[in-house]
Amino acid sequence: MAQTVKATPIEKEQVVIDGVDISGHWNRMFEQRVIFNYTPEHLEEIAALPGGESLEWCYQCAKCIGVCPVDIVGDYGPRKIYRKVQTGTVLAEDSDLWLCTTCRNCLRVCPKEVDMIQIMPAVREVAVNKGTVPSELQKAFENTARYGNPLGENPRKRADWAKDAGVPVPIMGQVRRPVDILWYVSTYTSYHQRGKDAARAMARVFSALGVDWGILGAEEKDDGDSQRLAGEKGLFEMLAEQNIATFGKYAFNKLVVSGPHEYNAFKRFYPQLGGEYEVEHYTQFLRPFIPRLQEMMKKPLNVKVTFHDPCYLGRHNGEYDAPRDLLRAIPGGTLTEMGRCRENGYCCGGGGGGMWLDSFSRDYTTMRLSDRRVLEAVETGADVLAVCCPFEVSRFEDAVKSTGNAGRLVVKDIIELVDESMRGA
Amino acid sequence: MSSHRVLIIGGGPAGLTAARHVSDLGFHATLIEKQAQLGGTPIASHYAALTHGFRDAEDAFRDLIHQVTDDKQIDVRLNSRVVGCEGRVGNFNVHVANGAGAETLDAGAIIVATGFEHFDPARETQIYNYYTYPDVITLADMELMLKSKTVTRRSNGALPERVCFIQCVGSRDRQIGNEYCSKVCCGVASKQAIEIKQLVPTAKLFIFYIDMRMYGYWENEIYWPAQEKYKVNYIKGIVTEVIQKGDKLLVRGEDTTMGRPMEVTMDLVVLSVGMEPSAGTKEIAHALQLKQNKYGFIEVPHESLDPTVTSTPGIFVAGAAAGPKDLDDTMSMAGLAALRAMAAVRGAN
Repeated sequence: MAQTVKATPIEKEQVVIDGVDISGHWNRMFEQRVIFNYTPEHLEEIAALPGGESLEWCYQCAKCIGVCPVDIVGDYGPRKIYRKVQTGTVLAEDSDLWLCTTCRNCLRVCPKEVDMIQIMPAVREVAVNKGTVPSELQKAFENTARYGNPLGENPRKRADWAKDAGVPVPIMGQVRRPVDILWYVSTYTSYHQRGKDAARAMARVFSALGVDWGILGAEEKDDGDSQRLAGEKGLFEMLAEQNIATFGKYAFNKLVVSGPHEYNAFKRFYPQLGGEYEVEHYTQFLRPFIPRLQEMMKKPLNVKVTFHDPCYLGRHNGEYDAPRDLLRAIPGGTLTEMGRCRENGYCCGGGGGGMWLDSFSRDYTTMRLSDRRVLEAVETGADVLAVCCPFEVSRFEDAVKSTGNAGRLVVKDIIELVDESMRGA
Repeated sequence: MSSHRVLIIGGGPAGLTAARHVSDLGFHATLIEKQAQLGGTPIASHYAALTHGFRDAEDAFRDLIHQVTDDKQIDVRLNSRVVGCEGRVGNFNVHVANGAGAETLDAGAIIVATGFEHFDPARETQIYNYYTYPDVITLADMELMLKSKTVTRRSNGALPERVCFIQCVGSRDRQIGNEYCSKVCCGVASKQAIEIKQLVPTAKLFIFYIDMRMYGYWENEIYWPAQEKYKVNYIKGIVTEVIQKGDKLLVRGEDTTMGRPMEVTMDLVVLSVGMEPSAGTKEIAHALQLKQNKYGFIEVPHESLDPTVTSTPGIFVAGAAAGPKDLDDTMSMAGLAALRAMAAVRGAN
């Protein structure tokens, strides 16, 4: 019943009417203005998907819009999705489907518990099956399937960063003994230039603390959580199966992860597939060591620091204090909060597949979320934007440059700041 | 000599409840009803289910009516109307007319429970064509269909594929003169939408509204299930025209959350008509010389803290005679009016 009548746009290169040059102007009403029909069938289709039930609960209060990180730089918003679908939009074929970063801020405030964290992956899975995935995301999926990481990096080089760590980095396949801590390094920490800096810092801090630790090295594969949220549930399950098998080969007491996405995967989703571990984000793991770290952190950094809450550590998993406790323990660092922090922290744009959709999103947003967040960090007058998610260093360093703030603000992982103070470098 | 009688005018939910309470506490009640039956608007207008709790309306009121008719302390006068009144609290003389003639009854206190009537869409300012198109109906018309468990288009007897409700017809309107909210229509429309969906599962349902006023538990008991379980589509923005288009009805308005005009077709359009003072309420106000508010309801000078007191000592009001009420409020008010009336009788004796 939905009518999709479109008039032909009127475009002229050289038009002068009554002496007024209107060249290049055209009738903007080229899409049907009047809503001709409501097609609640599409709402019901989404509601029929496992995880899609809650979309049709929306009663248009619009609380989500005020906190949606995308709406502020574009026209996307959760309550709008409901209305668009109700008036005929097929979400699985619509650009809106890929703009949500699953940051969870809308769900935090939603009185009806409309859960985009479940709706988005459910509908994206439909798009994956239809083959209507944006090409750059598709590439990340393919890389993940082929190489075990979305970057398409050589899996054998996953632990290459370790060569320059300055301390021995025990690799489980080589040490052949049980360890206390299995550190899951993560893709971006392993391969990204600045991620590797954080990896080396972590190795040095573990070493200085005398932690009994090891890494998987080339055997480690991407956790797959963001691929799952981007609609590739099958790929996630494949990676989880592989990682669970690898974890199963070795004896360890606790998994410590570099990033919130891996934390989310291992803590909440791997158990559903048979992989149950004690998991800590590295800031949580290091928190009990703070007194000892303080003895070792000799060099005052003398910087003003602001901290970006990762969505998947904070809103998704409720940890706001561990990173801050570490930051406060560093000598010479003063922590200044951004207006939006903790529960209403602004998203960097990297979650839910956003990491692999920047070019796609550019057509639908006025600026990247990371750009906007960097402007908020600059507003605090901070010298350092501290992060503890492997997605963020790359995103925010780009954003510092693209917003013209190079030289004014640097982006550092918390572990780099700890290491820096310990090394006195 | 003072009278111990409490005279109750109106045999609907409020009047029946007031009569029962008066009798329960040992006083004599006389119930005057101008119709040939008790039950008031819910029965006369064939309500199907009560909005709060979905209980069958006829069953619910049958019980209440029997409690009153079986009670020897309650004197029920059907086909009777109050035409005049003299005296004061403790000693009223009320003139009652019926088919056989007229009589004067003494009463210590009076409770007015003369109710409301549904807004007549002939007075609408929008163009809904209620009296032109058979498939444009009111909430009351829909209640009758729901009572017979048959929801069909009146034009051709077919099952409707798309049914919409238009809220606030005759309410919240300065031009019409009814500036008030009728309180129950949001809930009644949502309740009916649920019942329609139960009877015609293939139907698509729409409610066009200004703002949904589902106070208290109506929110979670009616509105949320209507949307979440029965897939009722709530669209913010009131339809202002209904036009015949082929064998369908084209409804026109603005979809305000989309910021776009809309023209969609429906099979049945239900006008959510609000409440106005009943003819009986206006007649009684004159007969008892009670003040009315600007809308014609019985004026209650201190409504928030003393909701049953009228402009005349010893005359109390209960239910929708005093303004739009749902049943819950009506029943509570009837109990209070009964207490106040008995206290007035006792105080005067």
